[in-house]
Amino acid sequence: MRYFGIDLGTTNCAAASAAPGQDAPVEQFAIPQLVAPGEVFAETVLPSALYLASGDEFPAEALELPWGGGTRIAGRFALRRGAETTGRLVTSAKSWLSATQAERTAPILPPNAPPGVERVSPVEASRAFLEHILGAWRHLHPGEPLQDRCVALTVPASFDEVARQLTQRAAEQAGLPELILLEEPQAALYAWIEAHPDWRELLKPGDLILVVDVGGGTTDFTLIRAAEREGSLELERIAVGDHLLLGGDNMDLALAHAAAQRMPKLDAAQFHALWQQCRLAKEALLEDPSRTEAPLAVAGRGSSLIGGTIRGKLQREEVEAILVDGFFPRVGSHEAPVRRRRAALAELGLPYEQDPAITKHLAAFLRRGGELACPTHVLFNGGVFRAARLRERVTEVLNGWLAEEGRPPAQVLEGGDLMHAVARGAAFYARARNEGGIRIRGGIPHSYYIGIEAAMPAVPGLKPPLKALSVVPFGMEEGTQAAVPGRDFALYVGEPAEFRFFVSSSRKHDPIGELLEEIPEELEELAPVEIRLDGEPGTVARVTLEVHVTETGVLELWAKGLPGTPHEGRRWKLEFQLRRQRA
Amino acid sequence: MAFRAFFSILGGSLPADIARAHGYEKAPAKRAETPREQPGPESGALQLLGLMQREARLIDFFLEDISPYTDEQVGAGVRSIHAQCQDLLRKHFRLAPVIDGVEGTFVKTESAGALAREPGAIRFTGNLPPQGRPAGGVLRHRGWRADSVALPAVSPKQNLSILAPAELEVE
Repeated sequence: MRYFGIDLGTTNCAAASAAPGQDAPVEQFAIPQLVAPGEVFAETVLPSALYLASGDEFPAEALELPWGGGTRIAGRFALRRGAETTGRLVTSAKSWLSATQAERTAPILPPNAPPGVERVSPVEASRAFLEHILGAWRHLHPGEPLQDRCVALTVPASFDEVARQLTQRAAEQAGLPELILLEEPQAALYAWIEAHPDWRELLKPGDLILVVDVGGGTTDFTLIRAAEREGSLELERIAVGDHLLLGGDNMDLALAHAAAQRMPKLDAAQFHALWQQCRLAKEALLEDPSRTEAPLAVAGRGSSLIGGTIRGKLQREEVEAILVDGFFPRVGSHEAPVRRRRAALAELGLPYEQDPAITKHLAAFLRRGGELACPTHVLFNGGVFRAARLRERVTEVLNGWLAEEGRPPAQVLEGGDLMHAVARGAAFYARARNEGGIRIRGGIPHSYYIGIEAAMPAVPGLKPPLKALSVVPFGMEEGTQAAVPGRDFALYVGEPAEFRFFVSSSRKHDPIGELLEEIPEELEELAPVEIRLDGEPGTVARVTLEVHVTETGVLELWAKGLPGTPHEGRRWKLEFQLRRQRA
Repeated sequence: MAFRAFFSILGGSLPADIARAHGYEKAPAKRAETPREQPGPESGALQLLGLMQREARLIDFFLEDISPYTDEQVGAGVRSIHAQCQDLLRKHFRLAPVIDGVEGTFVKTESAGALAREPGAIRFTGNLPPQGRPAGGVLRHRGWRADSVALPAVSPKQNLSILAPAELEVE
């Protein structure tokens, strides 16, 4: 019996396991994967890259893993092979899971696949990584099967419910329908707790911990408060940031583009090599303040290595300007990120953040309530922060804001393994959840609303104004349910009814059933939810709405037939539609 | 034992008893458990050569005529080969000095721990005694030992003599 934690990352996946018992250490699980045709090697991360090989590209046995095979290759070799060919590599599948503009269960990846080449959906890609990791575990540990409720899978805190459900669906298809979802910044804090058994001495009631998690593709902020409850210290997650598609890959890519401008034309594989080198050069420069430049060398494609090498370098000023000042500028706490309006018909792609200044996004997050939330501690997570210079910059900017408020500087919680903390924390949490250890309280980190059209006579060309009815209050806890009070809905039977659906991560005080007369600005419209009541077409059913948050943290909306009507005692589930309709 | 360790290294893993003698209870590498033909030493050598070509272009480098190039050009190329080879060594081998001491200082043979009695683990040079084994000497080179080897498990159908495939780009 093992507890298992999976970090399904945008660029890398990792896994860890823990034996029962509070003192057993959490162990990293090295994931065997193809590193070349016919060669399998275990590495601590599985790159979140899925290569869709054609049937004739490799002999079948060259793609065989000890527990199976197939033409869908995950991991190191997928990444390498994908740089050599066109339109067969799926990356950043996780970012697509949360892209509301895209049809997330339809085969849309890779977006640049030539006609006739196989594509997969973001859900299928996520499922492939999960199946790989689970298959590897089952193969290497046949005596320690994984049970549903003992496996925790992490998602960004900023993932909305649809993205969470899609992740759950991928897990279900991979054979773990009841797996537990956990937010990544929380997992990072659990890993810190695991590494510090004396953590209750290091924190005190009233402390506010800011988790800054900059992964390969996403940036996530979370605030966790320490409070005393019945004599012992408890942790509660009180706020999560918006979903920011901005991460370490963007940074290295920015450097690679800058360096490539000074080089002869590179082909795709060479550019990929340059990208990887820029990451290393960046880390070297940010680690050692005495270095003024780092060399870059991209080998030629032919067998002449020295003769074909294209040389270049990355200057310290460049890294400082592009990375430190570009992504982490010194800004005031009132500066808001720039959000340009998008063209109505944007190219189908990921909605990358338009303002790369992470510190501005952080300021906006901490200023959400108007007043600046003042953290007492900071926990960094994500490979980006291996560069001490970037940790220092964030700390410096944050402490500047705190000083303006007359607050003492925030302390950095040290000692995390930035690349693997999330998987380790997830395994730790899976055990704590089953065996009764420390748990961060929090519930659903968003509030949800249904749009209701005001009843008024139809006027051509004028849309009736929309009101918002709160259906899920902020912080609703796992394993609880609530009914929307004082309101019932008349729905036509036999045809789909659609609700417009809104979410907010900043409105925290709207009780369930509250009607907002106007749609406030901080509400974001999600894909609509749909319900189809079966029965005789043309009749009307009167229902009430109920909200359930399952034990595994998934939100469900139910409609219930009103007592005293022909549909009494019946219930229907409302399904999230996966695509936002153009208004 | 050294002999057995040598062949195991080429084959891709260290027997548990040898690993344990060096203080490693558990070999970090997990191997595929599918039974396959016992590979000879050649296959281990070929696999390593192929790996070095793939990760660091080492064959390209060694077999290239570098005489027409300036030191600066060679230096630039070598820098990345060096980094990639170092990565490769760290990833696939666990290396440690035979004697972890300060070079230039006197050490006793016991500093080699479990390897102190191992023929081949220590080479005595200089003014050797007429007979018997010296008890120690000035450490001139710390030596290297491989505590574990973790090479990728190779499919038995893989033709290891192809160290790098020819590349044809379809346009």
